[in-house]
Amino acid sequence: MAKSDDCVHILQGLLVFGNVVIGMCGIALTAECIYFVSNPHGLYPLLKATENNDIYAAAWIGIFVGLALFALSILGIIGVIKASRTLLLVYIVLMLITFAFEMASCITAATHRDSLTPSLFLKQMLEKYKKSEPASNSDKEVTKTWDELMLQNHCCGVLGPSDWQEYTSAFRLTHSDADYPWPRKCCVLDAQGLPVNLDGCKLGVPGYYNSNGCYDAISGPVNTHAWGVAWFGFAILCWTFCVLLGTMFYWSRIEY
Amino acid sequence: LPTPPARLPYVPHVPPMALLGKITATTFVLERPRCVFDGHADASDAVWLAVAFANASANFRNPRSRADVPLYKQLPTARAYMTLETAAAAYSCSARSPPVLRVGGDTACRDQGRQDPCNGPLPSPGPYRVKFLLMGCRGPKAETRWSEPILLRRAISPGTIDSAPTRRGSDVVVIASILASLGAVLATAVLGALG
Repeated sequence: MAKSDDCVHILQGLLVFGNVVIGMCGIALTAECIYFVSNPHGLYPLLKATENNDIYAAAWIGIFVGLALFALSILGIIGVIKASRTLLLVYIVLMLITFAFEMASCITAATHRDSLTPSLFLKQMLEKYKKSEPASNSDKEVTKTWDELMLQNHCCGVLGPSDWQEYTSAFRLTHSDADYPWPRKCCVLDAQGLPVNLDGCKLGVPGYYNSNGCYDAISGPVNTHAWGVAWFGFAILCWTFCVLLGTMFYWSRIEY
Repeated sequence: LPTPPARLPYVPHVPPMALLGKITATTFVLERPRCVFDGHADASDAVWLAVAFANASANFRNPRSRADVPLYKQLPTARAYMTLETAAAAYSCSARSPPVLRVGGDTACRDQGRQDPCNGPLPSPGPYRVKFLLMGCRGPKAETRWSEPILLRRAISPGTIDSAPTRRGSDVVVIASILASLGAVLATAVLGALG
């Protein structure tokens, strides 16, 4: 029966195409997640210190899910072309497991993006930056990260230099308010790393200190990261859903 | 009997320009008075700044000579002190000097306990009132009015910051609900195909 043969061939073609797309997206997901895990903006210590680095866990899951999707898509293509019930059954079961993992990763990334508020970073910065007896390695890392952040982005504090004035902090315990209304890194520095005009910086004269906060420099990359993992994963899952339904329909139509 | 010092109408004040460090927890900034002492000052005279707690300014008595000047370390007991001893020429009309004076900026003299007039950081948020006093060799020659009370900043503990997320974003709801429904459909399809 030519017509039903044609339908089967069309369905096979669609499933092969669907699996090819899944394979490519799997590679892309792996590459994206490896990029984020490699900490390109140096913000990992800040997230780790908030005890809220589930976004990194989501990215790690994404790496393995991406590789699994690639491998399974090859299995799926072979199964569809050979019309083998066993291979397709294995394919469906493993794909469901991968689907569940990727679901977890997406929802984790989306949820934790919401918890990264300015207040969270403000509290952490005030309690840990330049703490005199660092309780753990993470405190030293936080100090180092903030110094680099303020230096490279020409910013100060989370919302601005007034963060250091409005709240007491670990920094304030070792650096007097008269000498250090805010850390030296908030001053405009010259090529040797010394303030251009120290008195101007202490007074807050515009032009001698950095008046904007670093929150945008932190939340920008982290939000892009979380957005990338969550929404790209979501898109892949929607496509995978369709391909899986098609595969199940095809599987049920194969004769023994 | 020495003549009482001339009362100048100038009122010391915090400068109106936008400076983030105008008032901190232990320092504050005053606008430098210009041309205020020109008719009264000789070359050898000095201008001092008297700083007193706002509720003690009425009891402040001008010192009769340089030796009677209350020092920085007497602030807790005398409730006032004098600092920023500068030559009167620095306040004249033609002087080219920074437009502001920072009170409380010298942490070195506080720690070393030197006897000289010390512009040390203020120990409490105040409020404080200040006035300028022109001292000659025979005692005070002129004084400005007392300023308005200046209240310094009081910092609060970071423990009061509430770091919980304010609201659940709509992203999460969309992703979670759609994925949950897709998962449910797949599970039923698998059971239906196998069963």
